Amino acid sequence: MMLSLLHDNLDYLLWGNLTRGQPGGLLLTLGISLAAGVLATLGGLVGGIALCMGGPRLCRVLNTLVQILRAIPVLMLIFWCYFLLPILFGIDIPGVLTVIAALAVINAAYLSQSVKAGIDAIGDGQWRAAQALGMTRWQALRYIILPPALRAMLPSFVNQWITLLKDSSLAYVVGVAEFTFVATQINNREQVYPLQIFGLLAIGYLLLCSTLEWLGRRAGRMPA
Amino acid sequence: MTPPSWLGQGWLAPHYLGWLLQGAAMTAALALCVCLSATVLGVLLTAAQDSKQRWLQWPARLFCSLHRNTPLLVQVLLWYFGVGGLLPDQAMQWLNSPHQLALPLGLNLSWPSFEWLAAWIALSWYSACFISGELAAGLRTVGSGQRLAGRALGMSEWQIFRFIVLPQALRHIRQPLLGQYTAIIKNTSLTMAIGVAELSYTSRQVESETLLAFQAFAVATLLYLLLVIATQLAGSRRSAEEPGR
Repeated sequence: MMLSLLHDNLDYLLWGNLTRGQPGGLLLTLGISLAAGVLATLGGLVGGIALCMGGPRLCRVLNTLVQILRAIPVLMLIFWCYFLLPILFGIDIPGVLTVIAALAVINAAYLSQSVKAGIDAIGDGQWRAAQALGMTRWQALRYIILPPALRAMLPSFVNQWITLLKDSSLAYVVGVAEFTFVATQINNREQVYPLQIFGLLAIGYLLLCSTLEWLGRRAGRMPA
Repeated sequence: MTPPSWLGQGWLAPHYLGWLLQGAAMTAALALCVCLSATVLGVLLTAAQDSKQRWLQWPARLFCSLHRNTPLLVQVLLWYFGVGGLLPDQAMQWLNSPHQLALPLGLNLSWPSFEWLAAWIALSWYSACFISGELAAGLRTVGSGQRLAGRALGMSEWQIFRFIVLPQALRHIRQPLLGQYTAIIKNTSLTMAIGVAELSYTSRQVESETLLAFQAFAVATLLYLLLVIATQLAGSRRSAEEPGR
């Protein structure tokens, strides 16, 4: 019985209606996470570097923004993006894009603080040594400070990517057909094996997150 | 000057504000219950992982990594639909019908709904794993040399823990623990998926009734900010009161 359930629904759970041009399920979860992850990483790097190199006024504005973003639930931010983005751009925006935007913004906010901390952790002496060699501040950042700082930041980046992957399940509340949404759809249709369906869903996420964690640990052990 | 069309017409009627405040109260109540139970569970998990007994150690580790590596929303759904489906029909009927416990002074304590219970358990287990991570990190800040020194002074394991490790660890744990409590407040928002009438749920409800999305989300966001700031202020005031810690 469990096998027939799997047989009937596995395709839908893994990639939704891909043959009809509507990716969903696990595939969409991966797509959302990858897109939001790349954007959040870039945003976090830019934000963190701005916090270190920018003037006091820019830093104050950025810090306030980060504090506010950190104090509201991701779900609330998804609601805001869902409501505000179409107004801002004056066109209809698909739910997937609003979710990607919300996840990118909130995770960029968290990552910018990790990047700032990582750069601050590199001693002052390194900056001064670079200056003594005639480097500009940006050259020092690029060639002296960032390489070891990024290596030290890797674990916090991996943790944030795992958080992002897990938070992509929130797309469920705005009706985006990702992994969790598809599983609840199947559960509503079948009505018989809720424990099995949600258990399978949990195992799917568990495999993804554990793989990411393992890869992060392996990359962290690599020689410089 | 007319307001832009997306702002909608007018402001939220008072009774909608009342809904949102009720939602905030539900968020605060759920978060408080979760903070208490997750802290107790987190201490137990840390103790189990720290123990020398293998059969205590690895189940606790497994429990934590299972909970940390799956989305909270999936855990909430698993408790609500999965475990709810396992319970016998009579139990579900009992849980879904109202029960009240009369307390002295005319107060009534009503038995919470099944959504609320599922949300509470799921959030507590999930948060306990993160809290235990912070507790373990706090304990590790106390060097093993200090434990050995305690033993050399003839202290028992319990005395070493109580008088040497704990006071120092508590100082390091306070801030991360406060961070976890704020995370719990924010995480209660996911329970709207199973119909707990907390702040996000009510903001969505107000939005669909009034079509004043901006106003509904703005009030809800402000209420979340207030809850989080109040928690952080309470936490930092307590640490200021105890300069020795």
